[in-house]
Amino acid sequence: MSASLLLQSLILGLLLGGLYALLAAGLTLYFGVMRVVMIAHSAFLILAAYLAWFFTKQTGLDPLLSLFITVPLFFAAGYGMQRALLSRLRPATLTMMSVLLTFAIALVIEGGLGYLFSGTQRRIQLGYSGASLELWGARIAVVKLIAFGLAAVSLLALFLLLKKTRFGQALRATIQHREAAQLLGIDTDRIAGFGFGLGLATAAVGGTALALDATIYPSLHWHWIGPLMAIIVIGGLGSIPGAAIAAMLLGVTQALLQIPMGTTWAQTVFYVALFATLMFRPQGFFGGRLAQRF
Amino acid sequence: MPFTKTPTASKRSRAALTATAALALASTLAACGAAEEGGSEDEIVIGISLPLTGDFSEPGKGIQRGYEAWAEYVNANGGLLGRDVRLEMLDDQSSAERVAADYEKLINQEQVDLVVGPFSTRLVIPAAQVAQDYGYLFVEPAGAAPEVFEEGFENLFYAAPAVADDHYKLLAEHILAMPEAERPKTAAYASMDDPFAQGTAYGLKDALEEGGVKTVVDEVYPPNTTDFSSIAAKIADSKADIVVGGSQYQDGVNLIVALQQLDYQPKLAAFSTAPTETEFAEAIGDKTQGVIAPTGYTTKADYPENQEFVKFYEEKHGEAPGEDEANAWTTGQVVAAAVEAVECAEPDPECQAQLIDWLRENEVDTVVGPLSWDDKGRPQSAHMIQQWVDGEIKIVLPEDQAEAEFVFPKPAW
Repeated sequence: MSASLLLQSLILGLLLGGLYALLAAGLTLYFGVMRVVMIAHSAFLILAAYLAWFFTKQTGLDPLLSLFITVPLFFAAGYGMQRALLSRLRPATLTMMSVLLTFAIALVIEGGLGYLFSGTQRRIQLGYSGASLELWGARIAVVKLIAFGLAAVSLLALFLLLKKTRFGQALRATIQHREAAQLLGIDTDRIAGFGFGLGLATAAVGGTALALDATIYPSLHWHWIGPLMAIIVIGGLGSIPGAAIAAMLLGVTQALLQIPMGTTWAQTVFYVALFATLMFRPQGFFGGRLAQRF
Repeated sequence: MPFTKTPTASKRSRAALTATAALALASTLAACGAAEEGGSEDEIVIGISLPLTGDFSEPGKGIQRGYEAWAEYVNANGGLLGRDVRLEMLDDQSSAERVAADYEKLINQEQVDLVVGPFSTRLVIPAAQVAQDYGYLFVEPAGAAPEVFEEGFENLFYAAPAVADDHYKLLAEHILAMPEAERPKTAAYASMDDPFAQGTAYGLKDALEEGGVKTVVDEVYPPNTTDFSSIAAKIADSKADIVVGGSQYQDGVNLIVALQQLDYQPKLAAFSTAPTETEFAEAIGDKTQGVIAPTGYTTKADYPENQEFVKFYEEKHGEAPGEDEANAWTTGQVVAAAVEAVECAEPDPECQAQLIDWLRENEVDTVVGPLSWDDKGRPQSAHMIQQWVDGEIKIVLPEDQAEAEFVFPKPAW
């Protein structure tokens, strides 16, 4: 194994990890806020990717500009989904029933995409899709760098929003102790709706980042939901920094293991890490007590 | 869609009922009158079961169009042995159980004169088994996977140029024939973990290794792989002279883009399936130059049979035929050649055995070129090799079919 391959793999792993972090952020947020296991998260990612592709195809503009449409749209959809559907589930069976409900939503999205755009695999054709920068002999693809940048900016924004704003405080209070938050006059139902909208807004950004460098097709989301679930469990359910750290670690590990072990085995790192987490530290390695920290 | 199921099903069962009743009547009549097998004297009935609904309905309908066009063409040109061809087509709903029952019914009850195959390995194997049990010739248009030829069928012939292992055959020969100084020394292979995709890449790998081209990367990835950058990094780092992909569509495209991002510039890049798809150029943009792919069929091949097929098909459908249509048409041609040569088309085992024997020993001119088979039914030809030249994919091998010069080394992408 050459030093240049090691450096190249390390860079690729970090870039991949950044993308994973962004894709998993929303997922851990839903769980933190509402104990909802959101199977449809990756379906929304693919939906956003399709919208970015469609936007570029129709207008000829850069797919990143589609974010101005998809982010508010997804926020509203998330709010609506929480208020209209998820909040009607009984608290006692919420976690289990949310799996069924969001599974159904994922199928609806997949079917809708197939109906509208057919099963044909699509890719956004960008002038810079093959472009790259050189760094000490390693190559950094421009599209991957953009995706990483999007992830960094969105996660930082999310973090600041939760830490520094009144809404963030209210949301964290809702996560920590719903009844106590209600006693303090927080409209926890609305806050939960906003929390869900926020999660879905990250899916809009994540899906667009994904579309820059991937071939997309309606059933692609099934390939993503497993690794993303693994990331949020390892990171500690509900913890955004935990998810980010776990995502980076898993991305880098996967890329480095790839060199000696090949793709099939490198992909199993997610599941090995998931098993290890559930056996030794079920609350997750980086999140600490459920959703205490952001 | 579920709403259409009930009426179709009931229609089908009604049709089946009518057929059974008619059959019962026919057999009673036959018993007391002169025995008459299959259709009337002046027609040849060919039994087919196809996946017209279910998982394989898309390709299944393509095969159906191909068979129907072929029958129409034959009838417009005097028929077979002076008799009209009639297709007796059943829908097996893409089910392996149904397909066996369908052929059982076609051969046993309807006593069709000939049978031809359905679509996909999964359906070809059970169908071939039934045909074998009754001693029928079985020419099939789909089933390139090695399993088909390992079942020991003595009646099966695959009507396409080559099985998966041989898709890159012409490319291997071309590379190994290069002068020592130009010939690539090292090769990187990446293939999806899938019998078809892997078969193509490893066929080339075996041939090149035997010719002294060293394998420096050999990666197999699962079908659900979404990130190809690490595989690309390995290939780029090896600086292999050539890169070979055993790919379907999305993995091929993703791997090519990942290789381009790492500025890896091989002298030759060959990928199965992906580059021949219409979406390919749209996905890769203007960086397709020099990319190579094997293909089983192209409307552009200038075999006289093919030109006639394309013309006839375009007049009928207003669009060019695809690979499925061509495979079905080829199947028809193969059966027709045997029938014309031995001058029989009857269900009796003697005629069927003659047809089988004839195909074992002879070559048939088809829309995909001349075909002959080994004792397992594997076709002995090769796929054509196409290469992207100036934004279009063109045949470069074999040389007598070439539309463009083989470009080597490949221009930078």
